[in-house]
Amino acid sequence: MQQPSNGPRPERLTVALLGNPNTGKSTLFTALAGIPTRVGNYPGVTVEEKLGRFVCRGRTIDLIDLPGTYSLVAQGPDEQVAVDVLEGRQEGVPRPDVVVVVADATNLERNLFLVTQATGLGLPLVAALTLWDVGRRQGRSIDVPELARRLGCPVIPVATPRGEGLPALQEAILAAPVAGPTPAIPLRPLPDEADRPTAARDAIRRYAVVDRIVAGIVRRDSAAPRLPEDRIDRLLTHRFWGTLFFAAVMLALFSSIFWLAAPLMALLAGLVESLSAAVTRLLPPGPLRELVVDGLLAGVGGVVVFVPQIALLFLFIATLEGCGYLARAAYLMDRLLVGVGLSGKSFIPLLSSFACAIPGIMATRTIENRRDRLLTILVAPLMSCSARLPVYLLLCRAFVPDVAVGLPLLRLPAVVLAGMYALGVAVAAAVAALLSRTVFRGPPQPFVMELPGWRWPQPATVLERAREAVASFLANAGSLILAVSVVVWALSNYPRIEPRIAADVAARRQALAARIAVPDGPVAERSELAAELAALDTPAGLAAARRSAIQRQSLLGRIGRFVEPLVRPLGWDWKIGCAVIASFPAREVVVGTLSVLYDLPPNDAEGTALERRLKAARWEGTDRPVFTLPVAISILVFFALCAQCASTLVVIGRETGAWVWPVVTFSYMTALAWLGAFMAYRLGTWMGW
Amino acid sequence: MAVALSTLDHVAVGDCVRVGDVGGTDGVSIRLLEMGLTPGVAVRVVGRAPFGDPLELEVRGYRLSIRRAEAARVTIEPA
Repeated sequence: MQQPSNGPRPERLTVALLGNPNTGKSTLFTALAGIPTRVGNYPGVTVEEKLGRFVCRGRTIDLIDLPGTYSLVAQGPDEQVAVDVLEGRQEGVPRPDVVVVVADATNLERNLFLVTQATGLGLPLVAALTLWDVGRRQGRSIDVPELARRLGCPVIPVATPRGEGLPALQEAILAAPVAGPTPAIPLRPLPDEADRPTAARDAIRRYAVVDRIVAGIVRRDSAAPRLPEDRIDRLLTHRFWGTLFFAAVMLALFSSIFWLAAPLMALLAGLVESLSAAVTRLLPPGPLRELVVDGLLAGVGGVVVFVPQIALLFLFIATLEGCGYLARAAYLMDRLLVGVGLSGKSFIPLLSSFACAIPGIMATRTIENRRDRLLTILVAPLMSCSARLPVYLLLCRAFVPDVAVGLPLLRLPAVVLAGMYALGVAVAAAVAALLSRTVFRGPPQPFVMELPGWRWPQPATVLERAREAVASFLANAGSLILAVSVVVWALSNYPRIEPRIAADVAARRQALAARIAVPDGPVAERSELAAELAALDTPAGLAAARRSAIQRQSLLGRIGRFVEPLVRPLGWDWKIGCAVIASFPAREVVVGTLSVLYDLPPNDAEGTALERRLKAARWEGTDRPVFTLPVAISILVFFALCAQCASTLVVIGRETGAWVWPVVTFSYMTALAWLGAFMAYRLGTWMGW
Repeated sequence: MAVALSTLDHVAVGDCVRVGDVGGTDGVSIRLLEMGLTPGVAVRVVGRAPFGDPLELEVRGYRLSIRRAEAARVTIEPA
């Protein structure tokens, strides 16, 4: 839809926004163009491409938001994209007619480094001095006309919260092509220069130029009230108080996505459920209704359920980013993560992954360093997410004896549960440490991070971040997650070969009758078995029995039996293997699948009946129970480490822009899960649990 | 004096110094220069993170955080 342009056209202008990170560039983008018309990735790289459009005096202006960059001497893919777009070398993006270079008025020296670099582009420049209002409150004043004269381009002070300076900026953009390219500000050799690479030498020369430009035009009114910035900073990065405050903020962040999101998720699930109920009433029973209700709508439910967590997490992150705390959080936590090859910026994404890996992986967008970001994405799914909790709770309740360990209040199930969380963290640390020392080894990664000034977050920018995250999740990942759920539903329901299903139900009848006929069985169990046999003659009981039979005879059931040799070393029977495969769309599905495969009565899907049923399960043709403590621990360990979550894998693919990464994640996690489960089972059996 | 070859990672919190030079020719040293840590500029060590690393610096009117390993590349002169 876009053709490369040659020179300014009268009716349309392509304008690029260039600037340092943390300069209010995104805020300016929203103020000028509103909601972006397109957000995606530049072809071949995972650098975000954001385009917007606005009309001014009858001229359409296409706005390109370039990735935040400190320098035009590219050191990473983000900066390379910025340079490529500005030089007209980025495929599918026209060379800009005008460059708006954003400079933070409260931090002029470092920002002018990029501005003076941009004068060498051979394009018309307009400098926007953002945070003008903040600078004014700090008692700063800048001689704007003199700055414009020294830079050789228009300089427009803007204060985005009230739209101050925006009309002047638009006028300057329209006028810029007429004025022609901004002349390059030359660098001059300095006395006694050491022998250095060109980029280093130029940086030193450039700051000498910047020092000359700012000389005498920035004034600080000493009578202006000192802002409490320094005191806030000292308190919030204090060894004790800063850490305490950090812990409180993280607790609030974590509880908001763990608990605050829960009622919203329940609400959305309820909506999908009532939609399913409506469809059930409208459509006649049959394969179509099953496809729509159990396949499609269940899949939609599986997608929208993530929306509250993503929205809340991004509201939180954007607020922290807006006030300048996000960088401080990374600063505080850096030391802890350096040891495993990550940086402080990985902390919030990893913490969020305890609630759900999907918002956690999306939160890695705040990590500018490619290698750190990828490494964080690869280990984030090892954090025990809330979807693992139902599996943990079911198995702990049913199979871990409720005995005290050492202290009277310390019960074994709680210890095992905590152990699963610790296992995930320990394995993630080991994997990150290993990968960063092998596959991801490279030149030292600089941790050179600006700690931006304390400011009030802009509500519009915060909301826009959350909206963007939700929209990109629904648009990019939603359809694929839906497709995976429908495919797995089809696999576990087809083919339906009537004689086999009938034979399966008949076999069940016989097995029940045979067990009732055992003369000295416990009375309670016999009456229960009799009730179950009788239920097979009611329509509901028969339907449930058929459902179980269909799943056992489906392609999935056959795959389960086919892979039984693979899960046998873990102490599992084919039904457990089957349930694990069926839980590929989402881990928590395993509970429901187990209840269907083990013929749970239809009226009790979550309560104690499932526990009793699992306890009663026997290896086919023997009296040996399937679920023993080592088997339960083996399943727990498997679920702690496996990647049975299609949504996570889809999001990894979308966020990294390469489908090799979800394959790598799935393979390494499944291998670790198998190995862990095997060791847990062997150890448990050997110790005689 | 003995301070001649001291580096930024040894500066006490609250002290103000002047940058002598940034060692190395790789991307890290170029980034440090681009962020404004050029020879002769004044730097104040504002603080250290709770676990001792990284450092918070004030340079050219803004706050910059670098790890001690990076600060060790920056030689200093007394302010």
